[in-house]
Parts: sequence; C-alpha cells; structure tokens
Amino acid sequence: MNRDRRLHYEGVLFTIIVGVVLLWTLRVADGWDELRASIIIFVLGGAGVFLAAVQVVRDLWPRRGGAEAGGIHFDAPALKSQGRWGNLEIWGWILGFYAAIRIIGFPTAVPLFVFGYAKTYGAGWLLSCLLAAATWAFIYGVFEHVLHVPWPEPWLWGSD
Amino acid sequence: MLEAAFDGLLGILTWHSLGMMALGVLIGSAVGFLPGIGGPTTLAIMLPFVMTMDDPYPVIALLVGLDAVGNTASAFPSILISIPGSSGSQATILDGYPLAKQGQAARALSASFAASLLGGFVGALVLVASLPILRPLVLTFGSPEFFVLTLWGLTMVAVLSGNAPVKGIIAGIIGVLVATVGMDAKSGMPRFDFDYDYLWDGISLIIVALGLFGIPEIIDLASRKTSIAESEELGSGFFEGIKDVFRHWWLMVRSSAIGAWVGFLPGLGSSVADWFAYAHAVQTEKNTEGFGKGDIRGVIAPEASNNAKEGGGYIPTLAFGIPGSTSTALILTAFVAVGIKPGPDMLTTQLDLTFAVIWTLVIGNVIAVVMCGVLARPMARACFMPFHSIVPLVAVFVFIGAFSANFSLNDLHALLAFSLLGFMMRRHGWPRPPLLLGVVLGTKMETYLWLSYTRYGLEWLLRPAVIVLLILVAASLCYPILKERRERQVRGTEPNEGAPES
Repeated sequence: MNRDRRLHYEGVLFTIIVGVVLLWTLRVADGWDELRASIIIFVLGGAGVFLAAVQVVRDLWPRRGGAEAGGIHFDAPALKSQGRWGNLEIWGWILGFYAAIRIIGFPTAVPLFVFGYAKTYGAGWLLSCLLAAATWAFIYGVFEHVLHVPWPEPWLWGSD
Repeated sequence: MLEAAFDGLLGILTWHSLGMMALGVLIGSAVGFLPGIGGPTTLAIMLPFVMTMDDPYPVIALLVGLDAVGNTASAFPSILISIPGSSGSQATILDGYPLAKQGQAARALSASFAASLLGGFVGALVLVASLPILRPLVLTFGSPEFFVLTLWGLTMVAVLSGNAPVKGIIAGIIGVLVATVGMDAKSGMPRFDFDYDYLWDGISLIIVALGLFGIPEIIDLASRKTSIAESEELGSGFFEGIKDVFRHWWLMVRSSAIGAWVGFLPGLGSSVADWFAYAHAVQTEKNTEGFGKGDIRGVIAPEASNNAKEGGGYIPTLAFGIPGSTSTALILTAFVAVGIKPGPDMLTTQLDLTFAVIWTLVIGNVIAVVMCGVLARPMARACFMPFHSIVPLVAVFVFIGAFSANFSLNDLHALLAFSLLGFMMRRHGWPRPPLLLGVVLGTKMETYLWLSYTRYGLEWLLRPAVIVLLILVAASLCYPILKERRERQVRGTEPNEGAPES
C-alpha cells in the first residue's frame, strides 16, 4: 500500500473515531437526570454524529474536484510526513521531553532537551550550549525566582 | 464619546501600559519574522501570565499590541526567503520575493511597512466609525439574539475557515462539547468528569490552543527542517518603497477597506484578507502584467489589508463577544479573565477600554514600523535562524505555557491529548479554528440558549432579529453547497479541467 493510500484510509479511520466519540457523548449524556445539563449535547452531538457519517461517506467515495479540492486553504496546509520516520521522529522528541520532565523535573529537563535537540540536528557545541544555558537562565530567573512556579516533583529526586 | 476616547488614551499612555505594549510589539514582531511560530501559539503561551494581572489597560496594550503587529514583521520572511511569517503574509510572497531576488528587498520591505502602518490606521478608523452604529444595535439584543449570533459566528468560522465545510462544522461541535466538560453551573452536575477532580473546572482554553496549534506547528517546522540560507543583503531603495505607497495611495485605501471588512466577518480573518486584496489589485489596477514578477503594488495591497483587518476583527469581538479568529478568541478569553466584559458594556460603561484597544492598534503599529525600519538588517539576519534553534525553544514554551494553566501534571497530559488531536486534524485537512472557537463560545451558547428557553419558551424563535439571524445561519450553511454546485457547473462547461489525471 503506498503512502497516499495509507494516509487516505487513516483519514477515514480518524473520521470514524470522531463519529464514535460523538456517539459516546450522547450515550453518556443520556444517563444524566438533568435535561438542562444534557440538552446541548443531544442537539449538537446528534448533529455531529449525522455529519460524521456524511463525512465518512465523502471520505470513502470522494467527488473529484468537489468543494474540498479547490479554493484557498484558510488553515495551515496539511502536515506531510518527510524522511524515513516521518513525523514520528519529532513525536519521539516531544514524548521524550515529557518523560524527562517526569523523571528529572522541569528545570533539568529543559536545558537537556534544548541542548540534545540542537546538537542532534546540526548546531555546533557552542550554539547548543548557549541555547541550553539561555533557556535554563530564563526558566530559572523568570519562572522559579520571580514567579515561584511549583514544578512537579521528579521521580528520581522527589521528596517521597 | 470624546471623554471615553481621552480616558482610553490616558490609560494606554501610562509607563506600565506603554512598557507592556512595547513588549507585546517586540514579541509580536519576533513571532512575525521567525517563520514557524504562529501568533495564536504565542498568545496562548502568554495567557497564563496575563490572567494574573488586575489592571485591564496593560493587558490590552500587551495582547492587542502583540496581535496587531505580527503581520508587519512577517513581511521579512515572506519577502526575503519566500516563506510566510504568518498566515496573513502569504500573498506578499508573490511579488515581494521576486523584488528581493532583483536586489530590491529594501524597497519591498519599506513599502510593506508603510502600507502596514497606514492599513492599521484605516482599520482603527473603521472600528471608531462603527461605534455609533453598533451601540443602538447591541443594546436592543437579548439572549435569543445573542444565542443565534454565537451560532452564526460558529457556523461562519466552521464553513469558511477551511475547504472542508462538513469537517469544519463537526470541529465546531466538538469544540462546544469540549466546553461542556466540568461542573455545569446551571444544574450543579459534573459532566464528562470521569470522577476526576482535575476535570471539574473544565479544560483550560490555553491547553486546547497550545495543543491544537503549538505542537502541530513544532512538528511541521521540525519535519520540514527549514534552514534556508541565500542572500541576506537588503539592497537599496528603502525610501523609494515609502514613496511607492503614497504613489499608490488609492490602492492602499481600497485594500485596507477590504481588510477591515474581511476582519469584521467571523471566520475569514488573516489568511484571506491578503489574498482578497491581492486579487482586487490584479483585477482593478492598470498594467497588471508585472504582477507575480515583482510589482510593488503586489506588496502594498496585501500588507495594507492584513493590518487593516485587525481593526475590523475587533468589531464583533468587542461589541458582541464573538471572536472571528483564533487570535481574537484567545484575546477575548484574557479580557474576560481580567474583568473586561465584551458585549454591550464595551459600548457603554467600558467604552474607554474599547478606545484603549483602538489607541493600541494605532500606537502599536507606529512602534512596530519604526522598530522594523530601524532594525531591518538584524531582523533580516534573524530570518535565517535554523530550525534546530527554534524548535526546542518553542517546545519548551508550549510545555511551560500548558503547565502554567493549573500547575498540574494533568495539564501536560491534556496538552499531549489535544496535540494528538491537532496533529491528526492538520494531517487530514480538518480546520482547527472552529474547534477552538467552539470551546470559547460553547459556555455562552449554552447559557444564552437556556436563558432564551426559560424566559420565552419557544416564542423566542419568532423574534424578528432572531429570524434574520437564523436566515444568515442557514445562508452560511448553504454557501458551501451552492459553491460546490457552481464549481461543478463551471467544470461541466470545461470538460478537460475536471478530467481525472492519468
């Protein structure tokens, strides 16, 4: 299966998931006693399920040159996968940053992430170190020193 | 009104407000000239910090200043490296980049700055001129009219903010449903909380905005690995560009008027204003053969319109509390948090704050243009900053911005969830602005609907203004169907264009 075809089926699957989630909101709202809490969910969720079904049909049997094909795209252009790993590479970095925040804490994870990313993708030692140091100084100066942000406890050296 | 205008000016001219405006303009300009970082992402990062302020004037100065000038500095990457710094500077590339390649980058840049400045003035003037008309109109509106107005705003954004109207409407519905998460104020009932305390207060708009826009932008920038290094020379002709704008002053005025009108209509916004103005210039100007090859009018028209649209965009935001774009939706959220009440109050008791917005649009544009002019050379060099320096910095600020919403690790979990949603939406051509607008308008819609029903039963549907607005909602929904039919008819007369590619 080529990349475009896979992307197309992935798009259909995404629309189906959206429809299922909307259907699920209706089911949850149905269990509530108060109609005033659920009325907007019934009205809009119902319309959403119907439209999701319409969209699945449009996705499965697209009309060539239909409204979705022409004109100006007002949102940013669709993301494209590039390189061997596509967007997985940057997702790996984002999830890695999150994991680092959990394990070693925000103030340590931030300069490490900045240095690691910059160095991996071609920045020199000096620029990488400068970027990491500047970010750390900013985080420490503004968020820790001035704003006293209560960072989450890291797993490695938390107080527990 | 004059007294309110004077009070608004005094409020903006304090050291605190001016400092905040300068900071906003600086950040807005930096965001503009660094391709890959959008205005909405920056506004979302700023929200947690702004919401702690008490005085509304510095908040207006910072956020409106930041938002108003993004399109001025975004001319740098559009003209120098053919990459739009913001969605409002796409059309500038068509003639700006060829001019730069001809060694006239300085002329193109100065023309764009002058056009942006004058366009910003026209936008602010339109906002002032609209006040006497809006005041009686808004004061006659009750909850039924406001409900249908929010519905109209949402459907306009849903239908027009992408080329997939059905997806846009579904996205708007998802946004409204996201807004229902948490404790329901009417019934005191927790909704979609899953016995999870964190969800009782609902999902923060900051997290939704950062997830939908921040992370997908990082992914885009990191995947493109943009690092373009051609010529960093600006050439000469800086004053020639300013003269060009005065030479074509009538085009500048017309383009600004188009921008203000586009800004006023919910759903169109920055990414359309420049294209409409450019198309208008090509259609109405004489000697158009140079367009697309380096015609200075192709820079003036889009740059005047994309700044003028800011003034027009604040009309529905301030008068009706209905933001027409992602940026104004975020600014509206900050306004509400610091005690500014968009709606009738902005035209009566809080008119001075409306004028503070207008003064910020004027002064902010002046500061931005002076700064861009003076710092043109270093800013031009900064356009060539490689992705490996931008991506990690933006990622850090997105994570910290999200964490600052509630200072909870769950903020990061919510960020990752909305990032995945934003990524999938962008990957499969789903417009994201309707979802964010749905979150902003969801609570209001529900309240207005409930008030209308409890006060008037179903009779509110027969109020004349409601009927007119419902016709507009229906027209918005029918627009894509009519557009599709018309396009099919056009293709029917030109069989070769619609033929499948082999």
